[in-house]
Amino acid sequence: MPCRNITMKARSDREFIRSTYRSNRFVLAELTAPHSHVADGTERRRPPVNLAFVLDRSGSMAGEKLRLAKLAVEQSIARLGSEDRFSVVVYDDAIDIVFPSTPATTEARRAALQRLNEVTARNMTNLGEGWLRGCAQVAEYLSADGVNRCLLLTDGLANKGMTDRDELAGHAAALRSRGVSTSTFGVGADFDEVLLTAMATAGGGNFYYISETAQIADLITSEVGEALDVVARDVTLEIDSPDGVNVESLSPFPFTTRGGRTVVSLGAMVAEQVVEVVLRLNFPFGELGRETGAVLSLSAGDDTEVVAGANVSLTWAYADPKTNDLQPRDVDVDRAVARIFAARARQEATGLNRVGNFDAAQAMLLSVSKRIRSYAGHDAEMRAVVAELERDAAEVAAPMAARSLKEMHFRGYSSAKCRMVDGKAMRRKPDSA
Amino acid sequence: MPTEYSLQELSRLADVTPRTIRYYIVGGLLPAPTQSGPLARYSEMHLDRLRLIKKLQAAHLPLAEIRSRLSGMADAEISTIAEEEAFPPPSTNSAADYIRDVLGGTSTHPSAALPEQPMVANVALPRMESPGKPAKPPPGPEPDRAQWERISLDPDVELHVRRPLTRQLNKRVDRLIAIARQLLEEE
Repeated sequence: MPCRNITMKARSDREFIRSTYRSNRFVLAELTAPHSHVADGTERRRPPVNLAFVLDRSGSMAGEKLRLAKLAVEQSIARLGSEDRFSVVVYDDAIDIVFPSTPATTEARRAALQRLNEVTARNMTNLGEGWLRGCAQVAEYLSADGVNRCLLLTDGLANKGMTDRDELAGHAAALRSRGVSTSTFGVGADFDEVLLTAMATAGGGNFYYISETAQIADLITSEVGEALDVVARDVTLEIDSPDGVNVESLSPFPFTTRGGRTVVSLGAMVAEQVVEVVLRLNFPFGELGRETGAVLSLSAGDDTEVVAGANVSLTWAYADPKTNDLQPRDVDVDRAVARIFAARARQEATGLNRVGNFDAAQAMLLSVSKRIRSYAGHDAEMRAVVAELERDAAEVAAPMAARSLKEMHFRGYSSAKCRMVDGKAMRRKPDSA
Repeated sequence: MPTEYSLQELSRLADVTPRTIRYYIVGGLLPAPTQSGPLARYSEMHLDRLRLIKKLQAAHLPLAEIRSRLSGMADAEISTIAEEEAFPPPSTNSAADYIRDVLGGTSTHPSAALPEQPMVANVALPRMESPGKPAKPPPGPEPDRAQWERISLDPDVELHVRRPLTRQLNKRVDRLIAIARQLLEEE
């Protein structure tokens, strides 16, 4: 029988903690979203979507890129129904609201395509304002129970108007907390992947690297397809822990900690999506033999049904050094931890390579690969992570082509975010249902 | 006779899992039931406490803080607060207001525009959390302004154009921009 709820499994890499030092223990929480069909065979009512397509029309987009971007919008809006809304904004140094937010009726879709066909490529890129104008279209008709998202496509740098990365990511976070999320698509070799990743992460959406122009339509329609397939919005993982225990998410999801409560914002989950969250808990020293614990629970906006029962309690016991040293480790948690540290190191190393700090970039990857090797043992999966890091370390030690840099950065991003190599959501395999 | 609930009933009514209820009992947030095991019975007071715990959690209070607050409160007091309206829901037009403030230039400095922590997305915060929220722009022809486009001709000169324009006028505006830029670039 298909499950109606998000299921969560969580476990720690080790069960004992040291009584005389602070200890770090890692927790892997694996979430699986339910099927979009419920048990009696009827389809779950999907939340309406409210989308803005924001397209870069600066000079460099001329020709095939702009043609395919328009095609992506055409294919995407063809999937919407009249309960959904969409808008189209194009920008260069000026902002054009090609089609203001409208219910996605047949007439509206037809009219939008006609107007879109008149768009041609022009000047510089005022990415910031173009994106905000798109968000404004979504915000104007914010759907309380729907998916409100702005999709931003660019092939260039923000070089007009608001250009500061932190400022734009800050606005993305602020809009996310007000209900409007942002996904970003970078095409080719000249966009700023650090900016687009930061905006998508803070904005509660996804980032896609489009290395080949031909993928534009596939990835944009896939992101729209995910919006149409959302089964839970605003999913948050909450960790209650005793005083003195520090909890942080190593996975790239925004989190806050207040007192003994850490809240990790996972954003929307689509049908059968699998998300792994790796947490690091830092325990204070304590009395030998005493038990301590944490409770992990899920919430999903106002929808309590979809997360019912998804609670896990974990316990650890303070033990002597020998027990600690000899205790078994959970290899699945170790693998997830290795993947996440490798992914984070890869993103940092590409950043260092970009600014010409080649030695530091190489040292960063080598030190992480050494650390993983120390606990990998004979595990083939972790050894593969080590080997890949070593290959990448050789590559970042010299100037890299822009596309290779973007590809490596994107590989790190997708892996850390538990998404496929092309950036699409990871779904449960049919045989594991 | 006062109402009594089984663990399952309490769990359903309070919308928390049985596991969480047991955790709260062990953690001292809830008193233990009258009997243990399947015969355990919970009272209205348990339900009120659970509802209040959920409200306080929604305000991001740590469990330790919730425990100390509950310990200082009488059952009647807990019951009253648990029945009160929850914290106000976030305003639905706040994203629109936010963007208007940013684009209107009333809060261009990022630190001024972003007083809140970025991640407390979907949980209503108590009122006191947002003292620094930028003021709303004065009422005026706002809907109109969304159609205006600002075109920068020079760091100190801007052209404002209200869209949409006719195709003919659009061409003239494009020429105007080209001429203006050329003119401004002359020494």
